[in-house]
Amino acid sequence: MSEIPSPIDFRANSRGVPPHIATSVKKATHHLLGTRATVVGYLGDEQWQLLRQAGHELRLHTINHLDAYLAQLEERVTAAGGHVHWARDGAEANRIVLEIAREHGVRRAVKVKSMATEEIGLNHALIDAGIETLETDLGEFIVQLAGAAPSHIIAPAVHMSKEGIAELFRTKLGVDAPAEPKRLTAIARARLRDAFVAADMGISGANFLIAETGTLVLVTNEGNGRMCTTLPPLHVAVVGIDKVVPDLASLHVLLKLLPRSATGQKLTCYTSFITGPSAQCGDGGPQEFHLVLLDNGRTRVLRDPQARETLLCIRCGACLNSCPVYNHVGGHAYGNPYSGPIGAILAPQLLGVQIAGNLPFASSLCGACAEICPVKIPIPEILIHLRRRAMEGDRIEGPVASPVVAAGAAAGAFALSQPLLYEAGSQALRVVQAPLRRGTWLQSLPPPADRWTTVRPMPAFDASFRQWWRTRTVEGRKQTRARRIRIAALLGGAAVTAVAALVTLRSRKGSNSHDIQP
Amino acid sequence: MTSSPDAAREAILADVRAALGRRSGETAPCVPDAARAPARTPGCTDAEIDLLVAEIARLGGQAQRMSAGELPRGLAGLVQREEIRKAVLWETPALRSWDVAGIMTGLGIEIVPAHASKEALAECDLGITGADLALPETGTLVLRTGPARPRAASLLPRVHLALVQPNALRADLATVLEELKEDRHFVFVTGPSRTADIELVVTVGVHGPQVLAAWVVEG
Repeated sequence: MSEIPSPIDFRANSRGVPPHIATSVKKATHHLLGTRATVVGYLGDEQWQLLRQAGHELRLHTINHLDAYLAQLEERVTAAGGHVHWARDGAEANRIVLEIAREHGVRRAVKVKSMATEEIGLNHALIDAGIETLETDLGEFIVQLAGAAPSHIIAPAVHMSKEGIAELFRTKLGVDAPAEPKRLTAIARARLRDAFVAADMGISGANFLIAETGTLVLVTNEGNGRMCTTLPPLHVAVVGIDKVVPDLASLHVLLKLLPRSATGQKLTCYTSFITGPSAQCGDGGPQEFHLVLLDNGRTRVLRDPQARETLLCIRCGACLNSCPVYNHVGGHAYGNPYSGPIGAILAPQLLGVQIAGNLPFASSLCGACAEICPVKIPIPEILIHLRRRAMEGDRIEGPVASPVVAAGAAAGAFALSQPLLYEAGSQALRVVQAPLRRGTWLQSLPPPADRWTTVRPMPAFDASFRQWWRTRTVEGRKQTRARRIRIAALLGGAAVTAVAALVTLRSRKGSNSHDIQP
Repeated sequence: MTSSPDAAREAILADVRAALGRRSGETAPCVPDAARAPARTPGCTDAEIDLLVAEIARLGGQAQRMSAGELPRGLAGLVQREEIRKAVLWETPALRSWDVAGIMTGLGIEIVPAHASKEALAECDLGITGADLALPETGTLVLRTGPARPRAASLLPRVHLALVQPNALRADLATVLEELKEDRHFVFVTGPSRTADIELVVTVGVHGPQVLAAWVVEG
């Protein structure tokens, strides 16, 4: 999953989504939103909004002083007997984990669901190195068995039906399984139990890292997180540098926000607090603890004050559930582990707009994501900011828009800033549209405008507000006469330009495999 | 890219500082008050115990209040109902004061020592623990682990029984976190393990215990 060398084409990806996926995704998100609304309702809206604001302030404070908290975290983890490693990118992180595995002669590893390890493709790296690596979260286990990728931050197998899973268990595990969630779960439980006890290494991510105490916090439901961080003698955690929080007290706010937003629970079944290895503690946990702190593009996100708040994210997945676009296409269309609105702002920053510049356009900017976000990330504003980056480039990255689109946008901006040219243009359009006009609609337009009209009609250009306004005053009527003369002269020139532009665009059609299309 | 571990550390921290315009060694100011939330006000003890029991039951756990005198009968019932043969116990003063080990042995249950291997612990049907703290609001039990309190006791057996003393109850998560500052390892248990990964059908008992029993033992 980590290798995403070619640009993500959201439009093409979403065309390939089978209809049943949209149905199961909608069913799942609807359910998650319902349970969320119920538990948030227990608190009351006023209390919830206070918590959201506190969560925002807390995450912002942490991110704005990230260097200090990272240094403190490292010191505390080390003091607790753990080992801290730093990885600039995914390859470096994978190398570090492999080295630890090799030093300990690891043959079997068990894994807890983690976005960070998905992001860097750790499973592939381990399996390629001959280490048997098993995902143990039920959804991830199913997805791994199917050789597919997860499609939702919280519910990875949301796109699969129970019949499909039963069939998968029959072919891959050789067990005759009825299509009943309870029976299928029992099969997975039995399968994985021996693996937990036999594993040489447990791999996890973290929901939070507490700088004050050097504690890793895991928020889980199934118990596999506890298994992986309790039974193997070695625990390795790969965690993004953005996961730090200042102190244990921070979790008073964040643990009230995360489970409610993610799964509609007041708290998940298990919240584990792990500080260093269990050696000094003697409670039968791992003898060794390694923490790999992962950058992989996060410092680049930090560099841009306008997009920095992307890093406030606590990975609850609520914005996916509330997003009309995600609900139609599911997670796979986003072409990387981070889908939905958060994926549309995170991926272009982690991977660069050259790769993921398509994703900020995969949004209707309806704002549902910002409304539901428990830490109040201004997702729509960041989407627009990243659209601008993709089109025009900024100090973080150059543009990816094709020269034709860029020239068109520049011409449009110029025309809109010149009142006379603007008026001339709108007059000209009214003339040009005449043969295509059917009532108040333009049913079909020539290329490239047909990309709009093949899907829906375009409203015809009609009344001009400026013209109407001028008829309201005597002075305006005088001006109108003078203008008409100037416009007539301009129209001639504009017509020539328009024809030339149309010819250029026609010649471009067919070769635009990766244009940014708003 | 060089592979020196220190190089990566320095590079990342330098990038963070450059991005934020901060100097090396600069500390973070106190967390602003705006980043904190007010704590919940508790009801009376009796109401709080009832709330804890109700919340755990709502999550699919078997929760009840009982007196210390009722404990032997309660344990006998659980052993019979869940067909328990082997059990692991936390060796804590509270469990000793109730003579849980004695009662279990009397019921013909084999007691696996707390420091036994994970393979041995995996064969237990029942793990009996205490709960150091409890949060009625969410139905949460807080288990501190240690030498006589193995992590696996509340994880590997099919049935987990937590014996809670009324003085373990706390009003709010904030209080709980404040008390746990010095602990190395602890876990919040909120209902039996569950998943909804297959078509959102809630299934109880995935990898963790399938049955969670929480008894508030008074007196």
